Amino acid sequence: MARVKISEYKAKQLVYNILNFPPDCFSISSKTNNKIPILDPNKRYVIKVDQGVKGRFKKGLVAIDKKTSEVEKIIDSYTKLGFSSLFIEEYIAHEKDQEKYLSIDLVREGKLFLYSNAGGIDIEKHKENIKKKIVKTVKDIDEIARYLEIDKNFLEKIFSLFDQNYFSFLEINPLVVIKDRIYILDLAVEVDSTAQFFVKRAFDESDFILEARTKTKEEESILNLSQKSQAAFRLDILNPNGSIFMLLSGGGASIVLADEVANQGFGKELANYGEYSGNPNKEETYIYTKNLLSLLLKSNAMKKVLIIGGGVANFTDIRITFKGVIQALDEVKKNLVKQKVKVFVRRGGPHQEEGLLEMRNFLGKEDLLGKVEGPKMVLTDIVLIALKYLEK
Amino acid sequence: MINIEKIRQTKGNIVTIGSYPGIIQSILDFDYLVGKKEPSISLIIASGRNYERYFWGKKEILIPVVSSFKDLPDEKKQNLSFFINLSSARRVLSSTKEILESLPSLLGGVIFAENVPEKHSLELYEFSKNKNKFIIGPSSVGLVIPEVLKLGPIGGIDVRQLIDSSLLSSGSVAVFSASGGMTGELIRIVANSGKNISFSLSFGGDRFPITTPSDAFMSAQNDSKTKAIVYFGELGGVDEYEIADLIKTKKITKPTFCFIAGSISEIFETPPQFGHAKAMAKNQNETARAKKEALKNAGATVYETFPEFVRQITNAPLERVKTTTDYSRIRSMEQRKKALISTTISKDEDGNVKILNEDLLKFAKQNSFAAIVASLFLGKKIKSRQLEDFVDFVLRLLVDHGPYVSGALNTIVASRAGRDLVSSLSSGLLTIGSRFGGAINQAADNWLKGVTEGWNAADFVEHFVRQKIYISGIGHKKYRLDMPDPRVSEILNFSHKLSKKRFSGFAKEVEKVTTGKKANLILNVDGAIAAVLLDILSEKEGYSDKDLGELIDTEFFNALFVISRSVGFIAHFLDQKRLDEGLLRLDEDMVSAIEVKD
Repeated sequence: MARVKISEYKAKQLVYNILNFPPDCFSISSKTNNKIPILDPNKRYVIKVDQGVKGRFKKGLVAIDKKTSEVEKIIDSYTKLGFSSLFIEEYIAHEKDQEKYLSIDLVREGKLFLYSNAGGIDIEKHKENIKKKIVKTVKDIDEIARYLEIDKNFLEKIFSLFDQNYFSFLEINPLVVIKDRIYILDLAVEVDSTAQFFVKRAFDESDFILEARTKTKEEESILNLSQKSQAAFRLDILNPNGSIFMLLSGGGASIVLADEVANQGFGKELANYGEYSGNPNKEETYIYTKNLLSLLLKSNAMKKVLIIGGGVANFTDIRITFKGVIQALDEVKKNLVKQKVKVFVRRGGPHQEEGLLEMRNFLGKEDLLGKVEGPKMVLTDIVLIALKYLEK
Repeated sequence: MINIEKIRQTKGNIVTIGSYPGIIQSILDFDYLVGKKEPSISLIIASGRNYERYFWGKKEILIPVVSSFKDLPDEKKQNLSFFINLSSARRVLSSTKEILESLPSLLGGVIFAENVPEKHSLELYEFSKNKNKFIIGPSSVGLVIPEVLKLGPIGGIDVRQLIDSSLLSSGSVAVFSASGGMTGELIRIVANSGKNISFSLSFGGDRFPITTPSDAFMSAQNDSKTKAIVYFGELGGVDEYEIADLIKTKKITKPTFCFIAGSISEIFETPPQFGHAKAMAKNQNETARAKKEALKNAGATVYETFPEFVRQITNAPLERVKTTTDYSRIRSMEQRKKALISTTISKDEDGNVKILNEDLLKFAKQNSFAAIVASLFLGKKIKSRQLEDFVDFVLRLLVDHGPYVSGALNTIVASRAGRDLVSSLSSGLLTIGSRFGGAINQAADNWLKGVTEGWNAADFVEHFVRQKIYISGIGHKKYRLDMPDPRVSEILNFSHKLSKKRFSGFAKEVEKVTTGKKANLILNVDGAIAAVLLDILSEKEGYSDKDLGELIDTEFFNALFVISRSVGFIAHFLDQKRLDEGLLRLDEDMVSAIEVKD
């Protein structure tokens, strides 16, 4: 994996802790048994959907300045919309001109600070107000603190939290200063998911927000597979009732093949994007294929194809990975034939001769054969051949 | 930037950190097929073994394994020019830094692991720039220069792939991609068109590759063999803008063929993360479309569809190279099988037995028994007369020490119980261990530690006293300072002609301290043999202290005792058979029955 968002709740816990801010924020989710915390009736509250949705304020997924008596109703309304993670915090009344903006992005040259004294939800519209500075060491921060008229100490602490906990991105918008007290009204943090081992439990995978939508059990199963393997696996459903299912290998080749489907005007028919790479073993490839086939068989498209595609692998063993693919196909071959699925294969790499031959023999015997080709055929041609079958 | 022409002229070897047998074998196959005399990989850094077995052509060879650079002599370090880091993501930062600091002649290397944190990549980026070394990766399949160097799985790990991808003869097209798979695919496309690559590398799909795409482009621009550049990019990141700048400012003038994948991303409302870590368009600039435009505007040739990209590479007006698709050379390599065991001692060759690579009969005729024993035990022919003479003396000296000792007694008991020769001998041999007969090895361990760790004799003895353990090699039941063991002075005579005598010198110092405490704590036969053997091996046979440590670990020093004393055991067995006294049974008065009280 790579850069992933963590929940605002988790991000604020980390940030408040280092700043010695009172930890007065709450999370409501299945993890916390959806219990509503005891709130102070003298305070006003903000309730937010905390699932990494972009532009949530404009989408109406943030409720501000609410009395405690209103909180439960708002939570219900979000839950009814299908959201499962919410965040509650005290509402801080402030003026528009008190809103500042701060973001930090890890870039090759250092940490790129963007900052402005005109923050808020319309920050994008006022790009000319945003200042940029590459920060290499803590010393470079003084200038930013002076410009924003905030305590230098605050920025230094945020900077070291960012560095020590392998943050990739952090955005505070707005950052509000009232009578010398700093408030972080909205916080977004992306961490480097590969750094779990190095952050000593500051965050772990349960804090990651992978996508706003709920995953199918097949996608969950692949996510699980990927976390436990040396090899890499991805599976995302694009259209559960699509007619084109793709079992792809390699980060680059998989995009080329998916592109080609879209280029040919079949983007809407594309059921999934996914790929496996890094020489998975037979069992892992079997599990991956099995989950993909489960989705394929559920699709109610009239005619379906499975494209097994990839470039010339450097070290992924074709014979071994194809054994896993064939095992999974074999388990559901009757259903595949019943649904008139054809399989189209283009692949190269170590032991390709044996792998392709076994695949061709199997598909031929079971009446699933669309086409099986090696690297002599142009990578994307397999898509054209499969589409031709689909249109026929 | 990577200086490809300099690499073409470098003779240095590769060290791998960690082991990935398929990848290492593919590099050796590449070396073998391009006609190198020796494998380019000369060392593996890993733990748990001394060698790994690989094929060189059809023949099996051993590649040495060490657990860290610390044990490596400087002249061996001098020879290492490249590295491949195959260790896990967690260890990448520390192990790569160590290698850059330890190897003076290093040009650079490749990091293979996926999932290296961005922060670590950036740290290595700065570090390698300061050290003026190149690093390709992380999550890279490596660098390949046909005929010269294969540094990673790039181009394939199957022997057949090396031929299909034409990695054995050089061409004029440089191929780059973040994607390992697409690098392989493009190398194949170039090879199929008959043009071949001049070199190729994959940056890896991370957000911050240490060798950047623009670094790679500049390397191609500066390489005289490269006439054109083929580049496969994808959505995410902003590398292509730097490349566009290089083209615009005429820093890159060689023709470039580009393809940027990822237009599919635009059909999603929220763009997904694709396979590579960086493959996500964070903003409009990072989309495939925007990057294609930038490259086009700079003057690069950018293709809209993949088939068109392939067609244009295929038809590019570049020199064609005569290549071979002859598989006959590799047929025997494809059929090779790993042996069940490996040995350096002896083998059958053309129907004759060879011992240490010499014909058995010649070997037997030309060498004394002692020379043969020492050579076979050390696994290589001994060099010095001193070692031969000393082993000869030890073999004679240790042959028997009376029927009272446990091994001889066991042999006698078994023999009188009517057992056969081998059973009776084994029963005697099975008593050899740290208490009986095995003290030479333990004594050798003491002297080696004492010398290499720089102990002075008094502290050394104190150390044992405090732990309440005996010092192997010191002490005798019968002999004392005023009534010395005549065998010991004979043994020590063998070290007189040596110059350093580090170990026998130390042993004698220790004896001075211990006899000061008690008169019978003299240097004994085991201690003297161990000390003199260590001295001869070190001074006359060229063994390093580390080598000596390995001999101790493998019980070499006890082996001489086992051989010699077997003669005595067999003698006792035969003797008992001749006397034929029948089963031995102890009388009751030979056993005292003791009651244990709480």
